[in-house]
Amino acid sequence: MNKYQVTFMPDKVTVAVMKGTNLLLAAKKAGIDIESPCGGHGTCGKCAVKILNGAYDMQDDSHLPKELKEMGYTLACQVKVRNDMTVEVPFLSRLTRHKVVLGSKRTKFNKEHDYFGKKPMDPICRKYAVQLEAPYLSDSLNDLDRLKHALSRQYGLTDVRIALSCLKTLPSALRQGGWEVTVTVADTGSAAEIVAVEPGRSTKPAYGIAVDIGTTTVVVNLLNTEKGKILDKAGSYNKQAVYGSDVISRIIYTDEHADGLALLQKAVVETINELIDGILRKNGLEPGDIPVMVCGGNTVMTHLFMGVTASYLRLEPYVPSAVKFPVVKARELNININPEAAVITIPSVASYVGGDITAGVLATMIARSEALTLFIDIGTNGELVLGNKDWMVTCSCSAGPAFEGSGISCGMRAMDGAIDWIAIDHQSLEVQCKVIGDTKPLGICGSGLIYSLSEMMEAGIIDRAGKILTGKASGRIRKTSEGREYVLIYAEESGTGQDIVITEGDIKNLLRAKGAIFAGIRTMLQMVQLDTSAIERVYIAGGFGNDINLADAVNIGLLPDLPAEKYEYVGNSCIQGAMIVLLCREALAESEKLADGMTYLELSVGNQFMDEFISAMFIPHTDLSLFPTLHSA
Amino acid sequence: MPVQVLKERNSSKVTSITLGATKEQGGTRTGTITVGGEASLPFLHFEGEMPNKPVIAMEVVDRVPEEWNEELKAAFEGVMDSPAAWAKKSVEEFGADMIFLKLQSADPELGNSSPEKCIETVKSVLAAVGVPLAVVGCGIDEVDNKVIAAVAEACAGENLLLGFATQENYNTIVAACMVHKHTVIAQSPLDINICKQLNILISEMGLPLDKIIIDPSIGGLGYGIEYAYSIGERGRIGTLQGDKMLALPTLGTIGFEAWKAKEANVGIDEFPGWGEQAERGILWEAVTASALLQSGLDILVMRHPEAVKLVRKNIGDLMVPNSL
Repeated sequence: MNKYQVTFMPDKVTVAVMKGTNLLLAAKKAGIDIESPCGGHGTCGKCAVKILNGAYDMQDDSHLPKELKEMGYTLACQVKVRNDMTVEVPFLSRLTRHKVVLGSKRTKFNKEHDYFGKKPMDPICRKYAVQLEAPYLSDSLNDLDRLKHALSRQYGLTDVRIALSCLKTLPSALRQGGWEVTVTVADTGSAAEIVAVEPGRSTKPAYGIAVDIGTTTVVVNLLNTEKGKILDKAGSYNKQAVYGSDVISRIIYTDEHADGLALLQKAVVETINELIDGILRKNGLEPGDIPVMVCGGNTVMTHLFMGVTASYLRLEPYVPSAVKFPVVKARELNININPEAAVITIPSVASYVGGDITAGVLATMIARSEALTLFIDIGTNGELVLGNKDWMVTCSCSAGPAFEGSGISCGMRAMDGAIDWIAIDHQSLEVQCKVIGDTKPLGICGSGLIYSLSEMMEAGIIDRAGKILTGKASGRIRKTSEGREYVLIYAEESGTGQDIVITEGDIKNLLRAKGAIFAGIRTMLQMVQLDTSAIERVYIAGGFGNDINLADAVNIGLLPDLPAEKYEYVGNSCIQGAMIVLLCREALAESEKLADGMTYLELSVGNQFMDEFISAMFIPHTDLSLFPTLHSA
Repeated sequence: MPVQVLKERNSSKVTSITLGATKEQGGTRTGTITVGGEASLPFLHFEGEMPNKPVIAMEVVDRVPEEWNEELKAAFEGVMDSPAAWAKKSVEEFGADMIFLKLQSADPELGNSSPEKCIETVKSVLAAVGVPLAVVGCGIDEVDNKVIAAVAEACAGENLLLGFATQENYNTIVAACMVHKHTVIAQSPLDINICKQLNILISEMGLPLDKIIIDPSIGGLGYGIEYAYSIGERGRIGTLQGDKMLALPTLGTIGFEAWKAKEANVGIDEFPGWGEQAERGILWEAVTASALLQSGLDILVMRHPEAVKLVRKNIGDLMVPNSL
């Protein structure tokens, strides 16, 4: 079969592909990541590209916005290559560098309120410098047992296994170091194993990598596990995004493509490897220096990372393949660190409450506190945990990706060009806004949407049901064939050349998203027969959490009306939990206990959630008495 | 041994709302009607007062409703082409407490009457009867926003009961009620949450709560009446527990729902076991009404004079305080 050259502009990258190759995948091959929230089904209309020349077959571009069509754009996922082509990928369609929440500003885990306030660090991987007696004719004990005896004598370590690759280097290392070696031992609880051998006394400390595998973004932290110090952080978008923006469309991709699961696993591993490569290079380290890695991710991400099918999570009765995954070697997953390194994944609770939540609970130490705590992780799904040291319940409410900008006409993720703050003048209805990266605005991200909703409500542009009112005379309120809309930014001021608007449909989506989270909170409280006022503390986690404005989030009824001092932003609690596990063997065992100990509440059973959901689809809520401070204001 | 009667203590009650306005009050009615004020579940006189009895509003349509059942049409023979005469007969002969006037002819497909024509009709009915009047449109939002707003203005001060305000379309009619001193019917689709949300939306526009009557929507006998009952019950329980946004009198379009039922309309020749259609239709409406009285309806919108008679007797019996 013929191969054709496809050149992507303005990058000027050319790849050779088979006839009939999908243009979206050709771009991926060229290393250009194009937005494709629907997973290449041609339904999201986001992968717009301009074909400068060349022959191709077009499938269905009916979901491409009309204005883009008129400007000569077409949907990449619907194009099949038929000849040499030149394609321009506009900025708008690219997954540009993400603003990734890298976790808290803490660099050391030694503060009093931290996990290690009362507990000494006991990292999974330690380095041991061992001095051996040299053998002689009447003491001809073999090298390995000699090492084991020395470890036992010097450090009290018994039952240590050795990886074959380390055994291969042991004899020469021993002799090269004059019978002194430094071994790195990984102890994940079941068995200790020597995963690295260095001749002599090594000057390098033990390192470790913590990873947060998010559906949207992946964050990697490099630690000195001896000192408990965070050396560096890096984050980028998850390359799986090409196959769909949410977990469900990614699972569907694995179901519909024979090599889908392998592709998705490869994509996330590539993402992690790129981040690790960068961070190691920056810190002058070699891949071999990393003997351990701990990952936290939602249940689907964990499945896909491990290359285990997640198909049955999607189908009733929504059963995951596993919640606790075995500790594997880095080489088994092609992670670019020491091939013998232990790769640990934090256990999940259920299909839709994953290891990221377990990690968050571990890091926030909810299970050690008397105080009744509500933990909220707002992302594509809203996951909730309620409890204290005696009990914990958890649930997941399908809030939908509206707060991540998906399903919103001018929505986008929190990256450069996203509006993340707005204010509306109550008289003139004029708009002031702030844009991430101080560029021209391209769209609105989650926090911008919360501000918008709250401000539009305050300014009397929408009523409590989310309907755009016509009472106020302003050119910004318009009627289109699909209902009313409010113009935030006019085309001439925007970076897209088009108006940035919020439509009534968008508002409905936002109300659904915030309603689902609030209804989840209420339903969970009712299931344990507690009142909102019983909550003593609320932790808000998630990449979104850091930008979220509390007052406005309460104003629109996303979060319960509790005193501000009860709220605390914990940022990326998943990576914090992963780091704690790196630094503490007991935490690894604790994470398993936590995952086992959380009672999963299935909200879709019974009609209580639905009832609460309908009540919550109002600003702030049908039951205004739940929002006393807003009501009195 | 004396029986200990358990009584619920209710912290709140249904708001009392007066409909219509006399000359002194700025209108032309000979009397007003007050509904609501209940401080217990329906007819539990021993538990809380029920100061106002449920009232019956008889339905009058501003065009001849050819589609109505023959039995119904026979009851109003000779007056159906004149809303004023129809209303007069309903009040004087059949004892209607109120008239519920439906301006159906405003529908472009059912006569396309202009707002002016509709005002004329309303005025003629006002002149013909002295009881308070409810006026609703044809059900097409754009048309009703013109017609009802015009009627509200032309009849300023009459304290008409105007409808329907819905979640999708409430601004115009509520504004008209505010400016011209009328009461509004807030209609929700058998959903307690939407019912409450709509009341919040309306009261936030500035219309006081004692100017809102709830139409929670109902189902006729055999057509979801139990669901309608439970919505009514939930509303009343919410009211008694102190939910101000639900504490409003309710209206149910009994006649409309009951006479939609197949069982009210088919002849005995088709279903010999069902009995005479005339009697059956009347009973269908009367039973729908009496059942829903128990859910707490304050205003029953009815059609057949015989059904009205039965239900009035039922209300009278229920309003006698029990010996407990």
